[in-house]
Amino acid sequence: MNRQRIRLWDLPTRLFHWLLVLAVGAAVVSGQLGGKLIDLHGKIGLFIVGLIAFRLVWGFAGSTYARFAQFFPTPARIKLYLKGEWRGVGHNPLGGLSVFALIFLLTVQVVSGLFSNDDIAFVGPLYELIDKSMSDRLSGIHELFSNVLIGLVVLHVGAVIFHGHFKKDNLVKPMLTGWKDVASGEPARGGGFIALVVALVLAGLVVYGASGIWLPPPPVAVETPSW
Amino acid sequence: MKSKLLLALLTVTLAGTAAAQVKVEDAIKFRQSGYGFMAWNMGRIKSNVEGTYNKDEVIKAANAIQAIANSGMGALYVPGSDKGTGWEATRAKPAIFTDKEKVGKVAMAFNKEANEMAKIAATGDAAAVKEQLGKLGGTCKGCHDDYKAKK
Repeated sequence: MNRQRIRLWDLPTRLFHWLLVLAVGAAVVSGQLGGKLIDLHGKIGLFIVGLIAFRLVWGFAGSTYARFAQFFPTPARIKLYLKGEWRGVGHNPLGGLSVFALIFLLTVQVVSGLFSNDDIAFVGPLYELIDKSMSDRLSGIHELFSNVLIGLVVLHVGAVIFHGHFKKDNLVKPMLTGWKDVASGEPARGGGFIALVVALVLAGLVVYGASGIWLPPPPVAVETPSW
Repeated sequence: MKSKLLLALLTVTLAGTAAAQVKVEDAIKFRQSGYGFMAWNMGRIKSNVEGTYNKDEVIKAANAIQAIANSGMGALYVPGSDKGTGWEATRAKPAIFTDKEKVGKVAMAFNKEANEMAKIAATGDAAAVKEQLGKLGGTCKGCHDDYKAKK
């Protein structure tokens, strides 16, 4: 069988992936430990907002295998895959499902986090926009979904190990180098410099919106009375 | 002998009433008020270490937290107050009323850091206050994680 080496994951996709690994890891640790790390947790969250926004744009503007349409897990594709008849390149249908699930969960996490409060001394950057009881609700969701997210990450890593160990398909190396040996498949195209700039600018705008720095400043402190 | 017995009886009765005086709704209100008031003061300290530091403001806030921490709020967890509504429905988990030993531990950890905060605030050392705010907040979380219901 003649195998060929193709360009699979473009550099922005790979950078996104590994930065997300670091950021989510740091977010989980800082969120669990709390204390003075809670402020860092909020900053990491804003960074993840940027990563997710970038990936959402890149799912349309990126190169072939980074595009959502390329790996969208339609029921037909999933069925084909489960029967062992799927012969594609890039994310397989179950992998695609996992990508969408992870992006969805992370979106829930960052959005709920932006409005959250910890009843101690931390509030998310957009807390001011909603009332306390709503913020309490979202904080509860944030905590609940963090466990779901951790579960899904464990499943994701487990699947990667399964593919490497039992199916002899190393998924980690292509995510590092971008190259993969395949039986047949087109190299990734598209996702050029202009697409990258557009995605970065849009991600930057979303982070700006999420940061709340555009919110009107709190009223200027009046003279504190002596009592 | 008789008077001693009477005195003992009286003491028991008085102690009993002293603890049972607060009715459930009020007990929950007082709890929520205490935590809410501390939250205001935590926020004050935080805005001082993040913005311009005002030593007097921080001292006032730290002393307020210290006073509430040492007020014996544990007495407000009266029997039957695991459910009920004060300013809002209580979010105290039933475990507070059963895990006495562990609850005591997290509560004492909080008291210790609150006392420490008042001490540090008095020195006016902004960096040390910031550090202590993290520690103090950590002890709040220590209780919230296990004993405060999520919404």
